[in-house]
Amino acid sequence: MDGEYRVETLAVPETLNLLHDLLDRVREDHPDVERTDLMLFETAVIEITNNVVEHGPAGTIHYSFTLDVEHDRLLGHLCDGGPPLEKPLRTMPHTGSENGRGLALARIALDDLAYQRVDEHNEWTMVRRRR
Amino acid sequence: MMQVHTSTIGDATVLSCDGRLTMVAAPTLRSAIDDAVSDGRVRLVVDLAGTSFVDSSGLGALVAGLKRTRQAGGDLRIASAQEQVRMVLNLTNLDRILEPFDSVGDAVHGW
Repeated sequence: MDGEYRVETLAVPETLNLLHDLLDRVREDHPDVERTDLMLFETAVIEITNNVVEHGPAGTIHYSFTLDVEHDRLLGHLCDGGPPLEKPLRTMPHTGSENGRGLALARIALDDLAYQRVDEHNEWTMVRRRR
Repeated sequence: MMQVHTSTIGDATVLSCDGRLTMVAAPTLRSAIDDAVSDGRVRLVVDLAGTSFVDSSGLGALVAGLKRTRQAGGDLRIASAQEQVRMVLNLTNLDRILEPFDSVGDAVHGW
């Protein structure tokens, strides 16, 4: 899928700004999209990409992210060449925990988050319905 | 890259975070908190007025700081959280332990 907005890069912490920049462009191009929807979508995209960055061999994994603004929803696809997701999408940890919130937060921020392993890739589909 | 500026108000040390508090920046905040507590400054206010975005790594740094200061007999409070930060604190239930104060002045009140 081509996607209205697209980033393709190496999964290292330094490239996460490209995703923030992409979301900033969406904000400028689509002032009709609710701020909260984009804010929560951005939160989810960053958490899922953090997961890719953290769990792949450092500096060797590439990923692509596309975002489409549709009339009733924001639709994101992320495809990465990292290892398969080891743990299922988790629930929110206890407030005293210092980690383990990333994917749980992404789930809550979205209306639908789907993961599947296809060949040697991970595919994430993110949907947030527009309010 | 996020910067952390340190200042003091009475007994409180204010750590002002300027930029996104994410995976890239969280270690900087953790270090600033560790340095303060090691110096015996255990009443910390993290000023988030300049923080437009926080992720789970940033939240982890705040929780770690809260535990570190409380173990040392102090506390960590957060002030001036922006919209995305408040939303994320709420979604993760962390606003139960990290109540956002409206301003640094409100956070240090009573200390």
